[in-house]
Amino acid sequence: MNIATKKFLIVVVFSIVILTAGVIYFAFSSYNRYRVLQPLEYSHKAHVESAGMKCTDCHFYVDKMASASIPSLEVCQTCHNDEPVSTSPEEVKLLSYVKEGKEIPWRQVYEVPDHVYFSHRRHVIDGELDCSECHGNMAELTKSVSYQAIPMTMKNCLDCHKQRKVTTDCLACHR
Amino acid sequence: MPKWAMVIDLDKCTGCGACQAACKMENNVAIVSPDEAQQGRVMFWMDMIVTYEGSYPNVHEKRMPKPCFHCENPPCTKVCPVGATYRNEDGLVGQIYHRCIGCRYCMVACPFTVKVFNWKAPKWLDGKLECFNPDVSRRMAGVVEKCSFCAHRLMNIKEEADREDRPIRDGEYVPACAESCPADAIYFGDVENKQSVVYKLSRSYRAFRVMEDLGVEPNVYYLSKRVSW
Repeated sequence: MNIATKKFLIVVVFSIVILTAGVIYFAFSSYNRYRVLQPLEYSHKAHVESAGMKCTDCHFYVDKMASASIPSLEVCQTCHNDEPVSTSPEEVKLLSYVKEGKEIPWRQVYEVPDHVYFSHRRHVIDGELDCSECHGNMAELTKSVSYQAIPMTMKNCLDCHKQRKVTTDCLACHR
Repeated sequence: MPKWAMVIDLDKCTGCGACQAACKMENNVAIVSPDEAQQGRVMFWMDMIVTYEGSYPNVHEKRMPKPCFHCENPPCTKVCPVGATYRNEDGLVGQIYHRCIGCRYCMVACPFTVKVFNWKAPKWLDGKLECFNPDVSRRMAGVVEKCSFCAHRLMNIKEEADREDRPIRDGEYVPACAESCPADAIYFGDVENKQSVVYKLSRSYRAFRVMEDLGVEPNVYYLSKRVSW
């Protein structure tokens, strides 16, 4: 085998390795739809349908601040104290957190990068948007939130902004 | 559409540097080490130009605060290959850090040298001393940054004004430098609003703009009775 074929073989093998690595990467990380494991399987459906709650009953700051806020243990405690309200095994887990007085380590799923300013108040109050426009139909979700219903990409933001004829000025969102 | 402009009264300015400090705090501008400062890597969005006139013992020091001039006809936006710097409808020249590739063409194009480059990822005071403005991003190494006329403040005020369905009042939107100036030498407002202070001052006999012959039409006016600056 001469040097030229050796070099050619090295190049071929190297490119095959890179290609497979790329394929595997894209297959497992298709957009932002990676799954996040939550500490317990919170059912939005049970809370919305059976308990008849609204989004703002737990996510207090949706209409007041930029961040909608993930409810703290204190919020859960207003209903779930000592006695289980339902027969769900997930509630037992919750009650153990309540007993220990430890915050539930929820993981944030919807997140914008540091250089983007997103205000819930601006979208919900001024834009009069429904939560489902970005978060999907949460009332139907029986498991915990593990992926973004609509990926939080600039393309998705801009599509909606153009469609509703609101500002597409860079400085309005980028800071 | 309003046209935001700044008026700096050099007769009132004491050169204390409060505007520079306020700007650093407001916009999370990196603080460099003394060694880096020696290499000319000091980062100021609001710079202070100090010049001396005369010879000893009659030396006169002239101090001139210099923010980004947010030109009507900005040369920096024309050379940017990726559109990271642009002029928006409000007349603000914005810099989008995550789009910037750090080529520094804009720094060369700017006749007023207001742009600064992040040579290193900025180091911050850690722990409890860390106090960032959450409305402004922290820039990474390899991007160009500059004064934004505190555009994040404008966005918040716009939101407030839209909700109450009224135009932005004169003096409602002021950048950090104008707010902090102890001598009240910095005025800020809409130069097209005939009721605004800035409109009146920009037409004062004392008003001038820097390097007006270039035709870039800066939106920062200086006021001084002195003939030469």
